[in-house]
Amino acid sequence: MRRIVLRWTPPLALVAALAFGAGCARHRAPAAQGVLVVSQEQQSSWVRNFNPLTTATSARWPTLAGIYEPLFVFNSVKTEVVPWLAVAREWRNDNRVLRITTRDSVLWSDGTPFTAKDVAFTFDLLRRFRALDRRGVWGFLEGVRAIDARTVDFQFQRVFIPGFDEIAAQQIVPEHAWRDVADPVAYPNETPVATGPFTEVRVFRNQVYEIGRNPHYWQHGRPFFEALRFPAYPSNDRANLALVFNEVDWAGNFIPAVDRVFVSRQPASHHYWFPLTGSTIFLYVNTTRPPFDDVRVRKAISMAIDRDLVNDVALYRYSRPSDATGLSDGYAAWHDDTVAAHGDWVRHQPAEAARMLDEAGYRLNADGVRCLLDGTPWRYEILCVSGWSDWVRASQVIARGLGEIGIQASVRTNDFSAWFQRVQEGNFDLSLGWSFEGPTPYLFYRWLMSSATVKPVGEVAAGNWHRYGSPAADSALTAFEREPDPAAQGRISDRMQQIFSAEAPAIPLYPNPSWAEYNTERFSGFPSAQDAYADPSPNKFDRGECLLVLTSLRPR
Amino acid sequence: MRYILRRLGFYLIAAWAALTLNFFLPRLMPGDPTTALFARFRGRLAPEAMDALRETFGFTQAPLINQYVTYLSHVLRGDLGISVAYFPAPVSEVIATGLMWTLFLAGTAVIISFTIGTLLGIVSAWKRRGWLDTWLPSTLVFLGAFPYFWLAMVALYVLGFTLGWFPLGHAYGDDLTPGFTFEFIADVFRHAALPVGTVVIATLGGWLLTMRNSMISILGSDFVNLARAKGLSPRRVVMRYAARNALLPSVTGFGMALGFVLGGSLLTEIVFSYPGQGYLLVQAVRNQDYALMQGIFLVITLAVLGANWLVDLVYLWLDPRTRGPAS
Repeated sequence: MRRIVLRWTPPLALVAALAFGAGCARHRAPAAQGVLVVSQEQQSSWVRNFNPLTTATSARWPTLAGIYEPLFVFNSVKTEVVPWLAVAREWRNDNRVLRITTRDSVLWSDGTPFTAKDVAFTFDLLRRFRALDRRGVWGFLEGVRAIDARTVDFQFQRVFIPGFDEIAAQQIVPEHAWRDVADPVAYPNETPVATGPFTEVRVFRNQVYEIGRNPHYWQHGRPFFEALRFPAYPSNDRANLALVFNEVDWAGNFIPAVDRVFVSRQPASHHYWFPLTGSTIFLYVNTTRPPFDDVRVRKAISMAIDRDLVNDVALYRYSRPSDATGLSDGYAAWHDDTVAAHGDWVRHQPAEAARMLDEAGYRLNADGVRCLLDGTPWRYEILCVSGWSDWVRASQVIARGLGEIGIQASVRTNDFSAWFQRVQEGNFDLSLGWSFEGPTPYLFYRWLMSSATVKPVGEVAAGNWHRYGSPAADSALTAFEREPDPAAQGRISDRMQQIFSAEAPAIPLYPNPSWAEYNTERFSGFPSAQDAYADPSPNKFDRGECLLVLTSLRPR
Repeated sequence: MRYILRRLGFYLIAAWAALTLNFFLPRLMPGDPTTALFARFRGRLAPEAMDALRETFGFTQAPLINQYVTYLSHVLRGDLGISVAYFPAPVSEVIATGLMWTLFLAGTAVIISFTIGTLLGIVSAWKRRGWLDTWLPSTLVFLGAFPYFWLAMVALYVLGFTLGWFPLGHAYGDDLTPGFTFEFIADVFRHAALPVGTVVIATLGGWLLTMRNSMISILGSDFVNLARAKGLSPRRVVMRYAARNALLPSVTGFGMALGFVLGGSLLTEIVFSYPGQGYLLVQAVRNQDYALMQGIFLVITLAVLGANWLVDLVYLWLDPRTRGPAS
């Protein structure tokens, strides 16, 4: 036996090498005409799940982005609510009832008509299975009732105007397909029946899947192309490589030095647009611990930070320094420019910061380190997540800035879970962290300074990790909850921004970009700075914004 | 026979110990799966979602020891639980998506590397100080000394990215339907060429050296001299007398390597986007997906134990001394 093996090994190896060599021509077949290749999730192999009601993570990306649709789409670039499955809304009975009129002539992908009953059914599912209620609508709702085929009434427990945004964003499922599902929480919904532009699963394999267009889509003539295609890429690097090689048409990845790495390879068709509509990144200070309970200290820390340098070092200049409202560009329509113009506590002025601390009585000791009034020197750690290199570099810039005004700060990286546990329990001095996004500044400021969100140290808090409650903010937030008139809401929002700038509950650093890269070789109509009709990022699926893009793209 | 049964008992105890570790180790990590899910969202998920998530996964507050007993009984019934990261898919289903590919990729690599490495070791020991023996071991050890990750990246960059000779990733072309067609199988081999090739290059040196060194010491022993004195053909002396005995340490290593195949192919799979098990393990750890971690560890454990058991059997055949005094 062995003799044979020995004698045959070299020829066999040669044959194998030739076989490989023969098939090794540069082989990169482009996707078929009219098929948009998208890379948003990073997975090594796909698991078939199109359940739009379970948490966003377990269902495949198109479930929320293109298969199922919400009542209203929120356009974060224009700060605008776009009627989608619903065409009108109205507050009634002293704003205790929200009446929603659904769109006529919408069909489910199996041809059944979509009615108000489907809406009522969906919300009833959320009530019966709390695990599905990820927006917490049953925290303020009392009941949902279909009045007729096109009208739904939402009865509220109390007046809560921001509740509309959460109802508007809910994806609707068909009653006739979901009525008999025993456990909708664990239901993989492998063959979806939906109202969106893409509903037909044409191919599903572990490395790639395709969703074809909905034959009954209510926007007649749209979408303009045949299908969406999703190759599985396990890492950011690999997905970026595919993007550079024209294997992917649309992606939402972080790319370092995007101009050099991506655009310069094919400037005519490689494009990106990173609008600053992501969540604002903050330096949170634990306000339960002195000296961070002192607003002068918080502002002095803020003034010690060179945000331009942060943008430069940590973010490849993709962002801009935050202003004194802390709001990202996703709130452009709400933004109070006067507050921003006057809020100079977010500008880099270390001399002024040092003077403020001197004045407040926090003097330097013999080692040049500032001390509490009892003489304890200020030595703090800035927490961030290991591997999140933008945060780590930003923290290093901050630490150096703090050193200049006599605060000894060091950067401490933790594994994500460990870090998250510490900030949630309030077990930190300084930490980087994100903020919460929503269509109005209500949610954003509520988790920054409402007393209602303050949890005692040691208890897990979902937000408001710095544990700051402001009576002035409480009354503004309550007024906002009860005000249905947009103009009056705007005035209350201005007041919230003034309160934020005056009290500085947390230190805004920079708004996160919304990552979006696209290839116009095979498709046109992506949003861009010149044609800013929607957020360009495939990551903005939660409130249906991707639908705006998917129904606008045209094949070349 | 007694020997085999005794070994079997030993493996059962080892399996139990591994199961116990599988259960307790992941739970020593801080945080829980719900919080880990938030890492991916960085503020895009409303705080309310956390309650919904807790509700979804139905985390039990039962004492750890009760959970442990339930876990053991479930494993015995073959029920590995529900994955959190891929909710609501059962763990067995999630593992099944990658297991075959990992077995194929890493198994092929280890077998090729072992066979070629061992044969080269025999040759280079027999023709000592020939040109093969002078250049080959040192070159291969040099190549093996590079961090595997780096070697794989360079291979991918040069052969896949710049020259375009090999595909950049995946187990087969995206537009092919899996099946027993020549086109599909050829494509699978083409996609496996780079990952398997890099693993072989990185590990070849080890096999060669082990085999060469044990060959050299065996070639000096009396029974080999006797065989030569009897006038047997050189090939017969090398293969039947020396190599068979020199193979023992390599076979032990082979068993270990086969077992570690399942866990150790992680880097290969990440670099070449291979849809295997190693990447799943990373996902499981990132998401604190206890059930999936336990499932993958279980598979790895069983693979290591199974491979060792096979090695025991091979030993019985290779080395009559292990057959015990009874036989």
